[in-house]
Amino acid sequence: MITLKFILNGKEVSITTEPHIRLLDLLRDKFDLTGTKEGCGVGECGACTVLMNGRAVNSCLALAAQVEGYEIVTIEGISNGDVLSPLQKNFLLHGAVQCGFCTPGMVLSAAALLDQTPNPTEEEIKDAIAGNLCRCTGYKQIVDAIKETAKELQVK
Amino acid sequence: MNKEFSVVGKRVIREDGFDKITGRAKFADDYKFDGMLYAVMLRIPSAHAKINSIDFSEIENNEAISAIITSADVPGIKKTGLIKNDQPIFCDEKVVTPGDVLAMLVGNSENELRNLVKKAKVDYTELPLITDPAKALDQEAILIHPDNGSNLIVNHHVKKGDVEKGFEKSDHILEQTYTTPLIEHAYIEPEAVTAIPLGFNGVKIIGSIQNPFTARRIVAAVINLPLDKVQIIQAHLGGSFGGKDDTMCILSARAAVAALKANCPVKIRYTREESILESYKRHPYIMNYKVGFSNSGKIIAMKINIIADGGAYASMSPFVTWRSVVQATGPYEIENVHTEVRAVYTNNPYTGAMRGFGSPQPIFANESLMDEIAIHLGISPVEIRKVNALKNGSITATGQKLENHDVNLIQVLDKAIYAADFQNKWRANKKEKPLTKEFDFNNPVLQDYQYVEPDKLIQKGIGLAVSYRGCSLGAEGIDTASAYLSIQNDGTVYLLSGLAENGQGMRTTFAIIAAEALGILPEQIFYLETDTSRIPDSGPTVASRSTLMGGGAVRNAAEILSGRLKKIVKEEFKLSEEDVVSFRENLVFSRKKGLTAKFSEVCKLAYSLGINLATIGYYKSPSVHWDEKSGHGDAYFTYVYGCQVAEVSVNIGTGEVYVNKITAVHDPGTVINKLGAEGQVYGGVTQGAGYALFEGITTEKGLIRELNFDQYLIPTSKDIDVIKPVFVEGKDSYGAWGAKSLGEPTLELTAAAISNAVRNAVGKRFFNLPLNLEEIVLGKKLCPQEVKRGSLQ
Amino acid sequence: MRSTTIEILFPRNLSEALSIFSDAKENLKIIAGGTDVVTGIQQESKRFIDTEVLVDINRIPEIKGIEVRKKKISVGAAETFSDILRNNLIQNELPLLWKACSSIGSVQIRNRATIAGNFVNNAPCADTVPVLLVYNATVEIESLSSKREISLQEFLQGPYKTQLNVNEIVTRINIPIPSKTFVGDFYKLGRRRAVSISRITLAVLMDMRGGIIDEIRIASGAVTPIGARLTGLEKFAEGKEVNDRFFKTLASKMGEEIIKITGLRWSSEYKLPVVQQMFYQLLKSIEQRSL
Repeated sequence: MITLKFILNGKEVSITTEPHIRLLDLLRDKFDLTGTKEGCGVGECGACTVLMNGRAVNSCLALAAQVEGYEIVTIEGISNGDVLSPLQKNFLLHGAVQCGFCTPGMVLSAAALLDQTPNPTEEEIKDAIAGNLCRCTGYKQIVDAIKETAKELQVK
Repeated sequence: MNKEFSVVGKRVIREDGFDKITGRAKFADDYKFDGMLYAVMLRIPSAHAKINSIDFSEIENNEAISAIITSADVPGIKKTGLIKNDQPIFCDEKVVTPGDVLAMLVGNSENELRNLVKKAKVDYTELPLITDPAKALDQEAILIHPDNGSNLIVNHHVKKGDVEKGFEKSDHILEQTYTTPLIEHAYIEPEAVTAIPLGFNGVKIIGSIQNPFTARRIVAAVINLPLDKVQIIQAHLGGSFGGKDDTMCILSARAAVAALKANCPVKIRYTREESILESYKRHPYIMNYKVGFSNSGKIIAMKINIIADGGAYASMSPFVTWRSVVQATGPYEIENVHTEVRAVYTNNPYTGAMRGFGSPQPIFANESLMDEIAIHLGISPVEIRKVNALKNGSITATGQKLENHDVNLIQVLDKAIYAADFQNKWRANKKEKPLTKEFDFNNPVLQDYQYVEPDKLIQKGIGLAVSYRGCSLGAEGIDTASAYLSIQNDGTVYLLSGLAENGQGMRTTFAIIAAEALGILPEQIFYLETDTSRIPDSGPTVASRSTLMGGGAVRNAAEILSGRLKKIVKEEFKLSEEDVVSFRENLVFSRKKGLTAKFSEVCKLAYSLGINLATIGYYKSPSVHWDEKSGHGDAYFTYVYGCQVAEVSVNIGTGEVYVNKITAVHDPGTVINKLGAEGQVYGGVTQGAGYALFEGITTEKGLIRELNFDQYLIPTSKDIDVIKPVFVEGKDSYGAWGAKSLGEPTLELTAAAISNAVRNAVGKRFFNLPLNLEEIVLGKKLCPQEVKRGSLQ
Repeated sequence: MRSTTIEILFPRNLSEALSIFSDAKENLKIIAGGTDVVTGIQQESKRFIDTEVLVDINRIPEIKGIEVRKKKISVGAAETFSDILRNNLIQNELPLLWKACSSIGSVQIRNRATIAGNFVNNAPCADTVPVLLVYNATVEIESLSSKREISLQEFLQGPYKTQLNVNEIVTRINIPIPSKTFVGDFYKLGRRRAVSISRITLAVLMDMRGGIIDEIRIASGAVTPIGARLTGLEKFAEGKEVNDRFFKTLASKMGEEIIKITGLRWSSEYKLPVVQQMFYQLLKSIEQRSL
């Protein structure tokens, strides 16, 4: 067992755990942050995407011990309480959510993109979410939602 | 279209959107219970084997194991199925497909159980395999279910006129065989379910269950309890597409057996590999079409012979293939028809319901063939379809006269070809002879002439496909739906239906319908949790029937309650008998006196007067009938129509096909939620494109090669460029204001349209889906001889 | 997933790491991006069944960073693909490497997976290998007691086999900056437009002078048992006049060469004609760009 310290959704946390469990299991089982989903366990579907030091990563491919000292953001850390982020609001307005299972990962991939590339092209948007499989939406309304958010953030 | 609507037809945000976008929505695996145990499956790596014995002696005393569950622990029926009871809950005699489960270990550490399960010793004898459905009915074929007497699951036929005479009268005859692959639903959420024992009250089950009432029926039979002792709650469902029915019924039953034995909550959750291994799939079809037609393109006779691979269990095969037999001739009026569809048992993964349900396969064949007829006669794909298209008053292959709704086939076709500029592009791209190069494997070094000039490498093409689709269950069975509506005294409303939200947006659709009927906003309607103990059985959420059937029930409930409110308004405000009361924007109007009250005031008033403001609305389908013997009948009470145009770029060097654009024109009847309807189109088309281009489960010695998303490829955000949805809203008297079906039509056409576009681009016809790299370049599929997995080395 | 625990070590500098490796046994494995190791452990792959210790090399400064050293671009072994893609030096001086990195996996994978991780297993489909081979990349390898630098070609011994000893670690990949007279391209074919395992990869660097091939470097991946330079082909091409006919001849020659190296497999029926076809297309597009 090891004791880890890291920043989770803006708060410093400390947890004692087996070192080799996956970050995904750490978040879901030890922190009860079940917004992060497991779809494939091999880094292909992106449902488990979280932000690690601001970058989108598959939490099924990172071990818990590897996050020591890092900053992790999950879907639970994206909205401010009940106030949705502009990205979340636009996902709803554009119909980018159907079954919702890929949604948390999708939002985090999009958030990382807009953080690094505030004014992305359509191709850059598609690239940013290519690692997030969705079987319901055909991605179109997701791309629209991200595009619209970028536009709004440009105006501000 | 009714211009009077205030919310119907608008873009409405999903009622479950907030929970889903914040990660708060609880899916099946997000539930945890005190003392919860896990169950892990025991399987063997064989597709057909006799089980001689299972020896647990090495692990049975292990502390990590709370219980070992085998067939002996099943108190009720040991075999189940949606139509035929041929699928064991636990296989104790033999396995007939690699997903089969022999037994289950229960304990509190899933990891330890996964290690321990490997130490159970199974002694088994391999049996001969049947993996080719075409050979399943051979005399010498081994019987997969000997008590069935043969490997035939079902045989449907449709006969109209006399095909042989029709062929004699024809100027031309074409005959072709088409095949389609085994397809995984690939919902992103793998299966998960928890059963909680409730003592004398039976068992409560929460899971990723598409059809809670079907699950209840099966669980109750397996644990031998009455229906009221099995309560099924649907968690938020992470996609289904028809796929979380049989599998989830069986997983629920296994969890229930374990929960009752261990007297603890028991959860089963599958990895992706287990999900693909055990869950049922879309039927592969082998389809032979023979068609006779006149010089003008009029089809005179069509003879169709289809074999559907049902895999190891019957599942929904009888109904899936029934839809095929009804619709196999496509949306055309043909005088002489003989269609025969047989579903057979094999040792392949079993097949059942998947979005489209027996339509994407014959549409691929039939619409490919229509283009071939057009090319044969030197006319356009549009012309050949118009010559034969179903119109108002047409008689279908099953002898049904199409009436009582707008038969909008030509309308959707016209709209699509105009929107995509089809005719000009089709003529411009048309190739007289095949552009793809022939290769000789014995001389694999290319000759100079086999190299493609760089500017000829990418070839553009355009193609279309049309379809008609019977709405809801048709003559498959009882077709009713219920909805509970309860108005509170402040004007807010509870709503629940017996149909289930599978991600498609049904709850929002129902809220819109109720809001429209009550003159309030969808946000005022709170949709309750789907729970079999709270609402009447409304049948399964399948067959694109929820908007039509459930919508009808919701409207019925809302109209019952608005009728009661109108009566009070008339009495309270002393309106005359002939005055008309209406509800709009949370206000109540009298035709004569205008604004009369606020909606909430009327609700409060009704409460104070002791009026019942809760009801169950009900909708029963108009009668349909089917004579299985003659293959005749009014198969479905109404139909929808669609046309999709695909524009593609084909790399003739590599065989890559890129979808530049799909124009999807559909007549779903009245559109209830524009945002949701467009989402159905985008999603259905994308699944259809995956079906066309790269999806497919293959097996080697009956074992699946593609067990995860590294090998089973579904479309990503980068694989399809533009999708343009267009709606033609035909009139219909059924459902809520004529709102019918959309979910499945969006998927069923895409592969056929893409295949026709590829033909237009490269001048060569492809008969076997998917049109993957090898198919385009070599005209065949290639597979490795061994099952070796990237992610499971 | 296994129930026995795995110890994870986080050396903070290279010498700390090397002393861990100095008495390493088979029970010790390196973890960087985790894309291979974590799934391997989770799925109980044979390669990790005996692993008891993982050494996380992400926090070792000596094996990170991209810098110019003696006319070579030196890329830290634990540099992620995303880091490489953000580097202007790579984008300007090693465009084929940039393109190969951008074609790998998804953003999530590229944010974690490292360049050395791509080839230390020597999987045939490693996308950076053909590119690093045509760039004549060398690999720096260190142990507590030794330090050596060998060409990548030498490093890669056979399918899933390399020259790396258990007490060694790849520290840096050094790539000579090619002269501006070289033009080239990287080609990858997958079954899907994104997040796709490569069916075929090709890398070509060509120095043409007055219509004559002065030097050409050609490497393939996924069509040969390991990514490899096709030196026979290169020698055949050098000094030849560039024209359409010659490109076709060269492409067919590639077909012959691959048959020699690989033999015929289940996939050859497709891959053989396509690799020749796309090599020809690649040569034509390089010619176009160098005019």
